[in-house]
This record gives sequence, C-alpha cells and structure tokens, in this order.
Amino acid sequence: MIAFDTPGCARCRFFDPDARVIESELPGLRILSSAYGSVRSDDGLCRQHQRYVAASSICAAYREPAAALQPA
Amino acid sequence: MTEIAERSSPNPAVRRSAWAEAIRKEDWWAIWIGLGLIVVAVALFASGQSIKWIAVAPQKWSHLSDVAAQLSTHGVQYLALFVLWCVLFGIAAGALGFQSLRFLLSFSLLYVAALALYFLGLWDQASHYNLEPPLVALALGLLISNTVGVPKWADAGLRVEFYIKTGIVLLGTSLPLTLIAWAGPVAIVQAAIVSLVTFGVIYLTAIRLGLDRRLAAVLGTGGAVCGVSGSIAVAGAVGARKEQVSVAISLVVLWAIVMIFVLPLVARALGLSTGVAGAWIGTSEFADAAGLAAAQTYGGYAGHVPGITGNADAAVSAFTLMKVIGRDMWIGVWALVLSIVATTRWESTGVHNRAGIGEIWRRFPKFVLGFLLASAMVTWVAQGYSYAAYKQSVVPGLVAPLQALRTWAFTFAFLSIGLTTRVRDFVSVGARPFYAFTAGVVVNVVLGFVLSTQLFYGFWTRLGQ
Repeated sequence: MIAFDTPGCARCRFFDPDARVIESELPGLRILSSAYGSVRSDDGLCRQHQRYVAASSICAAYREPAAALQPA
Repeated sequence: MTEIAERSSPNPAVRRSAWAEAIRKEDWWAIWIGLGLIVVAVALFASGQSIKWIAVAPQKWSHLSDVAAQLSTHGVQYLALFVLWCVLFGIAAGALGFQSLRFLLSFSLLYVAALALYFLGLWDQASHYNLEPPLVALALGLLISNTVGVPKWADAGLRVEFYIKTGIVLLGTSLPLTLIAWAGPVAIVQAAIVSLVTFGVIYLTAIRLGLDRRLAAVLGTGGAVCGVSGSIAVAGAVGARKEQVSVAISLVVLWAIVMIFVLPLVARALGLSTGVAGAWIGTSEFADAAGLAAAQTYGGYAGHVPGITGNADAAVSAFTLMKVIGRDMWIGVWALVLSIVATTRWESTGVHNRAGIGEIWRRFPKFVLGFLLASAMVTWVAQGYSYAAYKQSVVPGLVAPLQALRTWAFTFAFLSIGLTTRVRDFVSVGARPFYAFTAGVVVNVVLGFVLSTQLFYGFWTRLGQ
C-alpha cells in the first residue's frame, strides 16, 4: 500500500521527463508528434519500472533525487 | 495554469509556473508565432497597408525562365521572409532547448527545399505529372533520409509538429467562426462515432489476441483519436511500458504514411468532392501532419482533375474541422478516463496515476486555442464588409497573405515528415499488435467513408461550395 502523500514521480531520481531524452529513446516519436507538445503534459520515463508514466504518479520505489541527498 | 505535481511535491525545483509552461511547450510557441503574425497583419490592414510584401509566394509559371524572373523580381522579399521565419522559429527553438546554430543551419536548407517545392507546385504542368507538393515533399524526404541519410545536427530544424501547429493556427484565418460553429457539431458527432468504434475494435482485438491492456489502450487511441500524440498521451496516463509505446509509434507512423498516398488516390478514383474527401481524410487519417498532406494534395486536384468538384480549400477546411475539432481536442478526456480505468480495473504495475480532472486541461492541445482565436479575429475584422467587399479588400490585403504563410509552414512540415522518417528506427512490432491495429484501420477507413459519403454527404458537399 502506498500512502497518498508519497512524493510523486515528478521529483523522483528514477524519473526522466527531458523531452530530448524521450525523443531519443522513443524513435519515431518526432515524425508525426513531439515530446514538446502539450498532450505529453509532464510525463517521463521511469528508470526503475521501464515505463512511461505521468509526473503525478506515485509508487513504492520512490527515491529522493541525488542532489537532494547531498549535505547542505 | 496548473502547476505540475501540485499534489505530489512541495519541492520548488519541480514546480513550474504558467509562464514556464508557455515557453517550454511548442503548442504555445505556435500560438505566439501564429497569432503574432495575425495581429501584425490585422494592424497593417486596419491602417490601409498589408503584410503581403513579406508574405511572398511563387506564382504560376510555364518555363524555367519564368522562375528566374520571379526570383529576380522578388528575391529581396524571399530573403526577408527567410529572416522572419529564422527569427520567429529560431527564438522558439532556443527556448525549447535546441542549439540555435544547428537550428539555423538545418532550417536554411529546409527553406530552400520548401521554396523549390512551392515553385514546383505552381508549374502549369505539375498536375499533369501528378507532382502534388505534399506528396513530392514526402517522397523526396523519405528517399533522402533512407538512402544518404540526414545528419543528426539537422534534427533541430526538422520539427514536423511545430510547423504544422503554427500552420493550423494561421489556417484559422481562412475559417470564419460562424463556419466552425455551423460545422463543428457535425464534425464532433461523426468523429465521435468513428473514434469510439475504432478504439473498441483495436482494443478488443488486441485483448482477444492476448495483448496487455495498456498496449491495447495505447494502440487504440493511436488509431482512434490523434495518432502518435494520442498514443503518447494515453501511454503516460496508463503507465505503459517503454517498448509498448515504441510499438504503437511504429504502427501509427507506418499506417499514417501509407494513408497519405492511399486516401487521396482512392478519393480521386471515386471522384469525391473536396469537402467530402477532406471529411473522410479527417476521420480516417491518424495524425494532423499526415492528414493535412493528404487533404492539401486532394485540394490541389480541384479544377485540375475532371470530375472533382468543390473549391481547393474545402478539403483542408473539412479535414481540420474533423480532425482538430472532432478528434484532437478530446485527448485529455480519453487520457483521464483510461487512467481511471487503468488504476481501478487493470492489474497493478506498481505505479499509480493520481490524475484528476485537471488532466483534461494539462493534455489539451493548446494550439487549438490559437486556431479558434485566429478564426475569431478575422471574423471580427470581416464584420461590416459585404461579400463583394470582403473578396475585393479583405482577402487580398489580409487573408491571402496569411494563407501564403500557412502554406509555407505546412511545406516545412511535409518536408520534415519524410526527412525524419527512418525505416531502421521502426521497432519490430510483432504480428499481434499489427493485426489488432490493422483491424482498426480497416474499420476506421470504411466507417469514415460511409459517414462522409452517405450519412453526412450533403453537409460536407455544401462545405465545399
């Protein structure tokens, strides 16, 4: 069971929403669409589950971004 | 506008404002560029001037000496237009994260190719040799990208969707708001029938063939709603696997490119009017750029191919109403519904989507707003003009130059389709996804044809007149 207040994919270290990366890892996407369009919203690639997921999703494998783990 | 992750993260690093959204999505840039040009055009028109000097376009020609003469006379205008596009698209490309130098180099070559193609389409023997510019652009691009290849740095300037969205915003100036209000509901009804049936056929066939429900949904929306954009939107909403998205992309692109050639060919053989053919293409093509290539090709037959009635613009107008108003606008609703179904009814993947009603707006193809605003602006300007005065004054001074700019934008897109399509990039899709998607294609094409040529025949015919 995942708590509803679990931080979402948007700030997870496994989540990659970079449009350039998405277009390079999904060949053919930019032929008749684009990773820069509104319909994509802020979806990204999850390196943990190898899925294409919405930024607002949640999962038990959430990890803080590497930068957030550095001491201040 | 909604900030992303508003419920999921308090981290300011991942919170994005409405203004950030407005500069990092190409939909908004298509609006800024398209509406910006229209505002300037309207302002000049209101002061008794026009943008037609810079919105230069080739004229009909018979001999190469005519081309040389046109280039000699209007060379400065073509150069000025090139600089204008470079500035507008270049600023947008920079904001989207592309290297400006790469974009400018790539776009320069694209502009030269588009100029050659524009001229080719106006050769008085072009229709005799079936040299329709969209098809020539596509074929030429496919040949280059799959033989000699296109260097990686050129990717920055080959942005099909960006050019097509900008063109669609400009296209709004050719469609009065009253026409959209009159034809929009019919387009929505026809598109809804076809979308629901096509999605159902693909989804149920895929499930029957033992495919995963998420792949079935991604394939279904690709075929039923808005092609690759539909697939990518729903893939995120349901949390599809990466390879499932790639399979859907390959199948949609493959069939969309086939249909660019097949739909105009069959419609021509059947002698469909431009309005009816445009509606059919709008119902049965999968992507905006592919469909506009097919519709513009068919519009080019009007007045050149015996038996094809209706005006040239009707094919593109009917297509746009059907595809943009009837199908594209609803992708957010499809994504929301399928995300709820995936979360509540399908097997868990370990990732839970918490999409709410805001999903509809977040995924809304914003360039449609620009299209509607463009239509409203020209409708407002045209108020108070009689039809004769509109034809005599508003069309040459305002609408025609904007139509020329639209044609430029579409030509950039058509060339980019072929130049970015590399067959080796297509993934191996497997037999079952192919059968499921193809079943949907067959139903989609037949049903779209029946609705366009039978049930709503009179309506789409009138649009063409």
